[in-house]
Amino acid sequence: MVNPQSKEPTMDITPSALTRRDFIAKSTIGAGMVLGAPSILKAKEEGSPSDDIRVGFIGCGKQHEVLYNAMVNIPGIHFVAAADIMKDRLGRTFGSIRSRFGTQIKRYLDVEEMLEKEDLDAVFVSTPDFWHAPHTVMALEAGCHVYCEKMMSNTLEGARSMVEAMDRTGRLCQIGHQRRSNPRYLFTLNELFNKYELPGQIVNINGQWNRALSSSQDIVSKPTILPKADILLKAGFDKGADKKLSEEELRHRFLNWRFYKDLSGGPISDLGAHQIDIFNWYLNARPVSVMASGGRSFFRDREHFDNVMCVFDYETPQGNARAFYQVLTTTSAGGGYYESFMGTDATIQISEREAYTKIYKESGVSDEVSAKWDQLVARGVLKKGAAGQAAGGSDEIASYASAPPDEYGLPGGLNKPPHQPHIENFFKAIRGEAKLTCDARHALESEAPIYWVNPAAESKEIINFTDEHLHT
Amino acid sequence: MSLKESDGNSLEYTLGMLLLRLWLAMRSIQAGIEKYAGTSAGAKPVNIDGAPNDYGLTEATSSKVYSLDNYQGVPAALYDKFKDEPFIPEWGLNLYNIILGPALIILGITLLLGLATRFTLFAMGLLYSSLTFGLILLKQDAGIAWLGTHIIMIVMALALAKYNRFAILKKW
Repeated sequence: MVNPQSKEPTMDITPSALTRRDFIAKSTIGAGMVLGAPSILKAKEEGSPSDDIRVGFIGCGKQHEVLYNAMVNIPGIHFVAAADIMKDRLGRTFGSIRSRFGTQIKRYLDVEEMLEKEDLDAVFVSTPDFWHAPHTVMALEAGCHVYCEKMMSNTLEGARSMVEAMDRTGRLCQIGHQRRSNPRYLFTLNELFNKYELPGQIVNINGQWNRALSSSQDIVSKPTILPKADILLKAGFDKGADKKLSEEELRHRFLNWRFYKDLSGGPISDLGAHQIDIFNWYLNARPVSVMASGGRSFFRDREHFDNVMCVFDYETPQGNARAFYQVLTTTSAGGGYYESFMGTDATIQISEREAYTKIYKESGVSDEVSAKWDQLVARGVLKKGAAGQAAGGSDEIASYASAPPDEYGLPGGLNKPPHQPHIENFFKAIRGEAKLTCDARHALESEAPIYWVNPAAESKEIINFTDEHLHT
Repeated sequence: MSLKESDGNSLEYTLGMLLLRLWLAMRSIQAGIEKYAGTSAGAKPVNIDGAPNDYGLTEATSSKVYSLDNYQGVPAALYDKFKDEPFIPEWGLNLYNIILGPALIILGITLLLGLATRFTLFAMGLLYSSLTFGLILLKQDAGIAWLGTHIIMIVMALALAKYNRFAILKKW
């Protein structure tokens, strides 16, 4: 197994008995290893088939397709096997890989069987939230490096068990907060925030994901391709139900697990986790409290809130700050999805979508600050956009309205699928060429406050975080 | 001097015919080749301080490329509209879509080389008439008028056919 974190490499393997798998492990764990001989180094040259990372998939649904499509252009991967309880999905994954790469993967209906029989370097976990922790722990213990989709788990305990398993096994565990590897996000944090301090003092943060009603409907599928009741029961899709469920009800839970409390964290976790993670990452701080409100305002039969609004309070080195976040599943208007950091000198609104990314320089900044911005434009660090134009009109109340800010943009974008850099980082880390940008521990540090949004909205009380709430 | 009075050796008519052949051939060949045109999207690194940035930020680039894979005889937007026309059967539309590009190129080349110029001009006129028929169905009057000028030029070329020079096959 490829194991850059291993502290106890096996030393008793003779070169003659060295398998391809062992070879990769030996050639990446590095320092002081006898196997770092020239012949071995030659074998590890770029493009060599023996360098291929053997990949398996756990879960072959929609998010799996997103991840798979984001990795098809990454060299050095050999797809080996996939597991899912739904045969039709396995067939689609099998077909996609065969038609693109001409290779046939092994298909499993049971994850444990796949992990036991296959010699895998890495697995991608994209199962429903309530299976993330068990599958990740299982795969780590089987010796695989794991890329697991966010939210880490539907429970804090589950997420903590993943961190513990990562530490115990010494394997890598990357969590799918893909923005952390996105060049646009990294550039914004490292250059615009940390190096040039463009926002000034950040006092407010505003994030949202507004999704239309049409995108929030129940998922349906042909009954003939769905798993039978006994399989769904075995997979725990009746979790939290207070009665015996019919096959139809189980299948609804299977397709729409995001609506059920014991299977997922709901919209605040599905959509909010990515963005609230950015609040914490960019501020390099964890919130001290959360207040929230939510409701089953339209989808009254769903267990989770369909609309949630929350406010996190932060204590940062610059002073206190507040972050408002809303997730709406009934309205798409209002600018889509973004995270907006509102400072005294500038607001940087960043989004995974370039179209929603905007940078505004406050109109009242000093000449010195303005000169700095002009210089950054000249150097190519920023792109100049439209100058602020006063709206004018008879309804303007001149004494209250601020002069409009000038608009700027990031100097460039990302020409890959948004998940690709994060997956590339995972593979590089496996090869010992990079550190994970979002390992399970850092992910949990960032995710832990999110687990308390739904309880805060349910209780209508402010939750002041203690170590008990947030410990990893 | 009128056409009737000329003896078939008039320099001005000969040059006029040559120009018409060149124009109609160029128009036809390039229109056919353009049906194989597409756009290749790419990206290049963004420069900061005159050097490629360290983050992998890129800006989009696009360039025009020609390839057999790009072929689309009837432009996609028109194709979808023709599909709804009761006078155009789908099999006919598919066939037309396949032959239009190659037909334009072949007719253009034969006209340029002077291979059976009169029949080539007539076939080209029929092709432009068929295109006109489609545009009549879609009520695209500007396009109809534009094709009408092509037909006028073809008729002029036919009228000047006896002044045709530099032709490989003068018969027909």
